[in-house]
Amino acid sequence: MARLSISHLKKSYGDFIAVDDVDIAIADGEFLVLLGPSGCGKTTTLRMIAGFIPPTAGSITIGERDVTALPPWKRHCGLVFQSYALFPHMTVAQNVAFGLEMHKVPQAERGPRVAEALRLVRLTGFDDRYPRQLSGGQQQRVALARALAMQPQVLLLDEPLSNLDAKLRLEVRVEIRELQRKLGLTTIMVTHDQEEALTMADRLVVMEKGQVRQVGTQRELYEKPADRFVAGFIGRSAFLDGEVTAPGRFRTAGGLDMVCAAAAKPGPATLALRPERIAVGGEADGLPNRFTAKVEHASYLGALLDIQVALDEHDRMLLQIPNRPGLTEPQPDESITIGWAEDAGLVYPRGA
Amino acid sequence: MSTAAPEAVAGARTNLAGLLVVPATLFVAFMLIGPLAILFRYSLNKFVPGQFMVDALVIENYVKFFTDAYYLNVLARTVRVAVLCTLACLILGFPLAYVLARTQSRFKNLLVIAVVLPLFVGNAVRAAGWMTAFGSRGALNASLMGMGLIDQPLEIMYTEVAVLIGIIAVNLPFMVLSLQSVIEGIPRNVEEAAFSLGANPAAMFRRVLWPLALPGILAGTILTFILAMNAYATPVLLGGPKFQMMGPLVYGQFAQQNNWPFGGAISFILMTATILLTVAAHFIVQRRNR
Ligand SMILES: Nc1ncnc2c1ncn2[C@@H]1O[C@H](COP(=O)(O)OP(=O)(O)OP(=O)(O)O)[C@@H](O)[C@H]1O
Ligand SMILES: [Mg+2]
Repeated sequence: MARLSISHLKKSYGDFIAVDDVDIAIADGEFLVLLGPSGCGKTTTLRMIAGFIPPTAGSITIGERDVTALPPWKRHCGLVFQSYALFPHMTVAQNVAFGLEMHKVPQAERGPRVAEALRLVRLTGFDDRYPRQLSGGQQQRVALARALAMQPQVLLLDEPLSNLDAKLRLEVRVEIRELQRKLGLTTIMVTHDQEEALTMADRLVVMEKGQVRQVGTQRELYEKPADRFVAGFIGRSAFLDGEVTAPGRFRTAGGLDMVCAAAAKPGPATLALRPERIAVGGEADGLPNRFTAKVEHASYLGALLDIQVALDEHDRMLLQIPNRPGLTEPQPDESITIGWAEDAGLVYPRGA
Repeated sequence: MSTAAPEAVAGARTNLAGLLVVPATLFVAFMLIGPLAILFRYSLNKFVPGQFMVDALVIENYVKFFTDAYYLNVLARTVRVAVLCTLACLILGFPLAYVLARTQSRFKNLLVIAVVLPLFVGNAVRAAGWMTAFGSRGALNASLMGMGLIDQPLEIMYTEVAVLIGIIAVNLPFMVLSLQSVIEGIPRNVEEAAFSLGANPAAMFRRVLWPLALPGILAGTILTFILAMNAYATPVLLGGPKFQMMGPLVYGQFAQQNNWPFGGAISFILMTATILLTVAAHFIVQRRNR
């Protein structure tokens, strides 16, 4: 187990920059999740750490050692592929023993370590099966056991759960996290499943277009998104375009005036509001921002009601109100009163 | 699948499949096994000069082959040439096939065509080409002597080396294509998994690539071995009259000596040797990878 630090990592393919100046430091035993939309450079980053893609610039340090120039087989990174990549001509036990053999672990030690790794992923007794005789979830766990058995410095997971069905995914998610805690493994996982990222990570890295947008805990990302992209990517937000007219004053494109946090600088800006911060009906009384809105669409989601409203022609937003007994969803074209506190909205300068 | 009575549909399908293989089977039976049976029968006949072939049931043609050092020598040379060519094709062909299978170049199809291209030129035409290149007054010797690097022409033509080079050149595309199709079926990330588990390229090759490519290696070696054992045009044109291999020997007995019984016997010895060696190699390779 070791610390991992990535500094100014960059990868370009011709003119296209797949990963741009990525800086991340991961503590010993930390579970870090790389999250971002498809094509943002997550896999490229992970493969550079594993040593399969030579970086265009920057460096990677595992523990105290600069591994930037080392080939993959000298990096001691346990890598679990999305497609598992088990060796089809070897049994489960041989697959798991492969890393031990390559690292010249004495024969006598291999058996117990293979058995231990298989026990950890709850596959004891599957030693003599071939990969084709296993279900997807079992293959996934063999891939994990194979990476764990060699006691890697860091564990790298590239969308390890995306081939599993929804129920199994929930189970394996918990299993991986428990194992990682128990073994104190420094881990980086790549996913584009937001819920998976939020439930598993100690800290998250949100990437977009090859760049890191924000690094932080779930709470930091949700409550203080660094920019408009993160505000829209983690959880949901309603966005109102407009401009900051004076400190603490925001005017929407449709001409509505609102109060917002005083720190915002005047100029074109976007106001982001979390749906659950918006009060409806009587609860909006006394709030500094109060508007009458027309319901456009309402959907019943069980614990929540999702309501799409329009303040005027230009300004639409999404509300979520908790379901209560006796609450009926508003009908389209019904008028409701909504309101929010001045610190509920986050202001992001536009065109920056 | 259950072992109980198969469903009606599945049964019908099997019957249909059975029907579909009938024409090919009949063709093989009439065109290959029939003549072979007749040939085998001939090989047991007697050859009396002047009388052509006399009906008999004797093994003297086989005895003649196995008691004459000249013929045994031809057999040994044929096997040696075939083994060397097959090994050379494997060693030269594997890296080429690997690159072809893994390349992401836009020109991949062109590369594949470049590998196959030599096959468009028939064996005889190609061997004639080699003759003009490697003959004592050929292009190679002319330029080497012109540059003053040698003063005697190199003896390449009519040697075993010439035959080896010729057969390797003919057989290499078959090896490369057999290997390439199998390597293409091996996911790249299986190799990467081996690297990430600490295997260096040599270990990865030995433990992952080679065993997974084995079906292609077997197909390619069997194909090139059979082709080399039965080579005709290349040894005749590049080896010259003194360099005898089994293929030309068979032809000589039939076409020049008119000795059909002995020609038949040599044919059967060649065929049996090819099959036995192929099966033996197959078992050795399989055992190694247990
Ligand atoms: N060999 C390559 N040549 C050119 N561009 C590449 C190459 N490999 C990746 N890219 C580009 O780099 C970008 C990042 O790719 P990457 O595979 O890291 O995305 P990702 O974040 O893992 O996406 P996903 O969630 O879909 O897996 C993509 O836009 C991709 O098209
Ligand atoms: Mg990816």
